[in-house]
Amino acid sequence: MLTLIVLLPLLGFLLNGVLATQLGGNRVGKSFVTLVGCGLPILSFLLVVKAFFELRAGGYAPLIETAYRWALIGRSNFEVAFYFDRLSAVMALIVTGVGSVIHVYSVGYMAHDKSFGRFFAYLNLFLFFMLLLVLGRSMLVMFVGWEGVGLASYLLIGFWFEDLANARAGKKAFVVNRIGDAGFLLGMFVLYQAFGTLNMDSINSAFGIGAAKVVPASLVGMLLFIGACGKSAQIPLHVWLPDAMAGPTPVSALIHAATMVTAGIYLVARMSGMYLHAPEASAVIAVVGVATAFFAATIAIVQTDIKKVLAYSTVSQLGLMFLALGVGAYGVAIFHVVTHAFFKACLFLGAGSVIHALGGEQDIRRMGGLRKRIPVTFWTFAIATAAIAGIPPLAGFFSKDEILWFAFASTRGGSPWLWAVAALTALMTAFYMFRLLWLTFLGRSRMDAKVEAHVHESPVSMTGVLMLLALLSAVGGFFALPHFLEPQLPLPQVHEALHHLEKPLLVLSIVIAFAGLAAAAYVFGSGTTRAEGLQRRFAGLHRWLSGKYFIDELYERCIGRPLVWISDFVFLRLGDRVLLDGTLHSLAAIGRHGAGLLGRLQTGSLHLYAWFVLAGIVGALLWSWRHA
Amino acid sequence: MIETLLQNLETLLLLLFGVCALVAAALMIVLHQPMRVALALISTMVFLGGIYGLLGVHFIAAFQVLIYVGAVMVFMVYVIMLLEVREAEGRRYSGLLLPGLAGFVLLVGAIGISIWRSLPTQHETVGSTGYGISAFSISFLNDYWLHFELTSVLLLAAVAAALAVIRISRRADNKRRHG
Amino acid sequence: MDRTQLLLGLAVALFSLGLLGVIVRRNVLVMLMCMELMLNGVILSLVTFAQQTATTVGAVLVFLIFVVATAEIALAIPIVLLLVRDKRTLDLDAYSDLKG
Repeated sequence: MLTLIVLLPLLGFLLNGVLATQLGGNRVGKSFVTLVGCGLPILSFLLVVKAFFELRAGGYAPLIETAYRWALIGRSNFEVAFYFDRLSAVMALIVTGVGSVIHVYSVGYMAHDKSFGRFFAYLNLFLFFMLLLVLGRSMLVMFVGWEGVGLASYLLIGFWFEDLANARAGKKAFVVNRIGDAGFLLGMFVLYQAFGTLNMDSINSAFGIGAAKVVPASLVGMLLFIGACGKSAQIPLHVWLPDAMAGPTPVSALIHAATMVTAGIYLVARMSGMYLHAPEASAVIAVVGVATAFFAATIAIVQTDIKKVLAYSTVSQLGLMFLALGVGAYGVAIFHVVTHAFFKACLFLGAGSVIHALGGEQDIRRMGGLRKRIPVTFWTFAIATAAIAGIPPLAGFFSKDEILWFAFASTRGGSPWLWAVAALTALMTAFYMFRLLWLTFLGRSRMDAKVEAHVHESPVSMTGVLMLLALLSAVGGFFALPHFLEPQLPLPQVHEALHHLEKPLLVLSIVIAFAGLAAAAYVFGSGTTRAEGLQRRFAGLHRWLSGKYFIDELYERCIGRPLVWISDFVFLRLGDRVLLDGTLHSLAAIGRHGAGLLGRLQTGSLHLYAWFVLAGIVGALLWSWRHA
Repeated sequence: MIETLLQNLETLLLLLFGVCALVAAALMIVLHQPMRVALALISTMVFLGGIYGLLGVHFIAAFQVLIYVGAVMVFMVYVIMLLEVREAEGRRYSGLLLPGLAGFVLLVGAIGISIWRSLPTQHETVGSTGYGISAFSISFLNDYWLHFELTSVLLLAAVAAALAVIRISRRADNKRRHG
Repeated sequence: MDRTQLLLGLAVALFSLGLLGVIVRRNVLVMLMCMELMLNGVILSLVTFAQQTATTVGAVLVFLIFVVATAEIALAIPIVLLLVRDKRTLDLDAYSDLKG
């Protein structure tokens, strides 16, 4: 059954990919594509639910299903096997559930696109690889899924590839991901050499019984974390995510908010058995996570493209998740993954609805006054914004508060500094999210007149999904996920001395959320005049932030240009032209000159030929004397 | 002294004929005009015929004079007469005179030394066995009949080639006349 | 120096002179005649060796050489004739069409 869950989206990819695209001659119409493209993921979701009930009935003992033996090398058995336990169940439900609703949303969003079939084929392909990733038992299967989602991401970011910028964004995403994958591979190699198997459950239990003394857990932890950085867009490999907004909005929602970018979190949480014994790696993870969160939040404050704000917001929230992982609160990180999937998907899809309503406009400086015009979109967006800002009792409040608490008080690396930076990030999150809400929907309209005339609410396939996700964002916090996952991912101990600070910090979180709301209302409530004033006063800082700290330019200068120089001078001119071509030309020249030399023997003069006969006879006779 | 002369008459005559043949051959290289060269070759062949006669193989001597001198060299002389009226002078030696001479010395040395080393110790049987033409013919047509037949094939090929040459020369004539 | 060595020396000399003549003389007909000289040298050496066995092999070989030499000259001369008609000279240096 687990195999079936994974294979259904693949079937969808094959059917749509062949029949509904130019490859197969565009044989089927949109209804077929919709039926196959949405129906199969929904079917997968139902099967996951069934599997979940089976899991529960079996007392949460992991379901293991081996599909196929891939290779037998020496004594190592590499199988394609699927593993279903609490963690996998949660991830699979999110992937298939949120994935299915985003598929339904795409029906409405991409209705007028000429490559409708291709889009659904790629979406199904992505779903297949993501399921491989979360259900795989061995790190090898997971890696196949890891690479595959990278591929699907590349295909979908560059979906409208006629525009070169989109293609470049897809390429950038793929290349940066690959840099991270080098770390992942190295980590896998060390683990395989140590344990002889790549099954993650075996590795975790091996660490549980004391393998940490012989295997450098921190080294492996760091290497795997490099891979996670690439996939989950942490510093310094975060540069691809904002560019990835070039893809269609459902893609941004599904891949770059809800599911693919959480693969890194899943990896670390899955290997928690190892990370419990790798304090140095965990510390690095926590620091990198919180730094990324802070850094991305500062950039999001000044962004003017609605999707870019959400992109940096995603990077920031992922940073918070890594913070939770770094201090040992693995279950809490997964909890935030789930709630983040709900409200971030709702936000992205809402942004898509706004873009759809405005006929393609994405700059928030040219929006405003949309509250009455597209009410459903507005209310769902508002609920999701409140959720991400941490307003109780919505979902984001619960998960974010737990993260902040464990960042402060965990015995596995919690510290007041981590909490302070994280709290500051939470404040900024609330601020920029409400800024987004105000500038997009509220206040006076700053829209173009032509655009304003055509503003319309989105079709039901889109608004229905928005409402569902907004509902989940609202009530999602009440599923006590960390406690559900506790038997598998134990929550860390907190310092006894700090136990009494739990309630005050809770109150502080609420205060921070409302403070952000108030600040945004103050600055942006009455149009952009106050904002412009602030911008003028802090012009230098503003330039720095809207230039994204000029990291892309730094990479280009330090890495891109030397590489191009090496390729051109060393490899092309020296290596290819001089060495390889030179060798070939020299060999040919030797042949040519040798032939020229030999050609001079044939003068056409018979006297010379007769003389050669004589010389040959003399030579043969002299040679025959060698044994005399 | 006459006795020693008569006892070694064969050897002396052999020596005489040999020297004459050698001188005639050397003259071939040196003389200017082709007709004189042809005459030198004829004299070489005649002296060689004399040597064969001294060795006791009279029929081979007869063949030498009849076939070689009588057919081949006569043909050669005819051709020289045909072709040589126009060209009386012309340079004698090619560009490879010196390399040729050097090669000649080396060749004589090399072959001479090789033969000298490989000669068996008793070789006084020269001229002892003389066989006549009947022995030769019987053996030729009985034991070596295949070689005999093959020579007729060779001569057939020569006839065919001669026909081809006639045709080529006719075509060349026509081309020159009408071309 | 006995008779065999004498005769063999003469044969070697004739053969070498013939080869020298082919190399140094310019006239085509003289070259042909030098090739005949080479053949004569070979026949002489064959006759010398033929005496040393009791069979008639040597004589048969000599006879075959006569036949071949005759056939050869019968054809070589017409070929030379045709060539000369084309090139209008008997100088061998003009016949270098096979150069290169």
